[in-house]
Amino acid sequence: MIQLSYLDYSAVEGKSFLHRFSPKAKLAGMGLVLLGIITLRSLPALFSLYVILLILFFVSRVPIKIFPLTLYPLIFAILFIFISRFQIHFVLFIFLKVLCGSTGVVLLLATTPYPAIFSVLGRFLPSLFVVALFLTYRSIFILLNVFEETQHALYFRGGIQWRHPWRSLINISNAFGHLILKGIDASEKMYESMVLRGFKDKIHYKGD
Amino acid sequence: MSHIHLPDGVLPIWLWVAGFIGAILVGVILSRLHKKEDLSRRLPLLGMMAAVMVLGASVEIVPIAYHVNLTVISGILLGPSLVFLATFVVNVILALFGHGGITVIGLNTLTLSIEGVLGYFLFHLFWRGLRKLGIAIFLATFFALFASTLSMIGVVSLGTSHYEELIHQDKDRGVFEFKLMKEKEDHLKEETAKGEVNLKRFISILLPLGFFGWLLEGVITSLIARYIRRLRPDLLGLGGEPS
Repeated sequence: MIQLSYLDYSAVEGKSFLHRFSPKAKLAGMGLVLLGIITLRSLPALFSLYVILLILFFVSRVPIKIFPLTLYPLIFAILFIFISRFQIHFVLFIFLKVLCGSTGVVLLLATTPYPAIFSVLGRFLPSLFVVALFLTYRSIFILLNVFEETQHALYFRGGIQWRHPWRSLINISNAFGHLILKGIDASEKMYESMVLRGFKDKIHYKGD
Repeated sequence: MSHIHLPDGVLPIWLWVAGFIGAILVGVILSRLHKKEDLSRRLPLLGMMAAVMVLGASVEIVPIAYHVNLTVISGILLGPSLVFLATFVVNVILALFGHGGITVIGLNTLTLSIEGVLGYFLFHLFWRGLRKLGIAIFLATFFALFASTLSMIGVVSLGTSHYEELIHQDKDRGVFEFKLMKEKEDHLKEETAKGEVNLKRFISILLPLGFFGWLLEGVITSLIARYIRRLRPDLLGLGGEPS
């Protein structure tokens, strides 16, 4: 989740040609990638799509620290291997589909600031849902700060040690409990300030 | 911990389209149950709890991607209808980080929200019967996660003929595939019966992994509830009765 700040930094500060593309075009591009994932049935075609996405990823100068995020869904894809009795064609096929999807979305988020994405989504999704998306995204950053402080506090209380599993579980749970309570407090303050600024079920983005 | 985040391109089109329709229908019905002002007032809380779930999903507690979902505690704090909407938002955000597919947001929402909604009702049922917070939360979490895992297995098993087709497609010639109708997959059932697809193995790997996860999340959720009860007992809606 720490990569989220890199994603956001890359989306806002990046200067590549992909960063300069309109969010609408990039969302349409992502739609095409998804269409490819759903409809392509040959390995070379899927591999070509993945190579194109990789080239775009590196040409866009997205921080390399973000790249492991594109590999993460493979952990879940591995479970599908057991369905197929380890047939190499099926395994490669699933892995390439998963990699194309994850590389596409990470590339989209790393080159497009999230308010721009939500602004486009707000044109065809219910406003309350888009507000919920926006507030969640904003809340993640608020909670990440709390989480970092909590991690330091956890470290001083012994952190997570395999030799003391029960104490570790209590520490993890207290950290999440602390995060939830801080989150609830922050949400009350957030609502007060939103009402003060004239919030009426819709967040207006720059350019609306 | 109960579920896997289904990726794009694995499930048949009819299944994930049905998942989207189902999730949207449930979302619309549940949001209609709330007054608009009430929903709008609780949006920041919904967003914050969704953010807590996203953070929970991103903290790997045990390697091989074991993480807490925090859906049951979110369900208890938000209520069954808001936790469904929060789960929908969580799946959209997670899909944007590549953590679960975009096309399967609907199905992932339906399976994951079972934890929050069922957890809420089971918690209140066990609490009424047992009056022990820790045990009530542990049991509610354990059974809610078990139900969610079963539903995920159900979803995966619905695509059996599609996996069979994917396994055999290297024999076919062609670059594109576009099948919207379930019927078109049915002629593959004979081949499926021959058994290239092995769901039993999938289930036999998933259930023991899941069982460990249900226990772990049950314990963690109980400890979180204990922490919240010490500081803000009003949030749990226990009616001030001690245990």
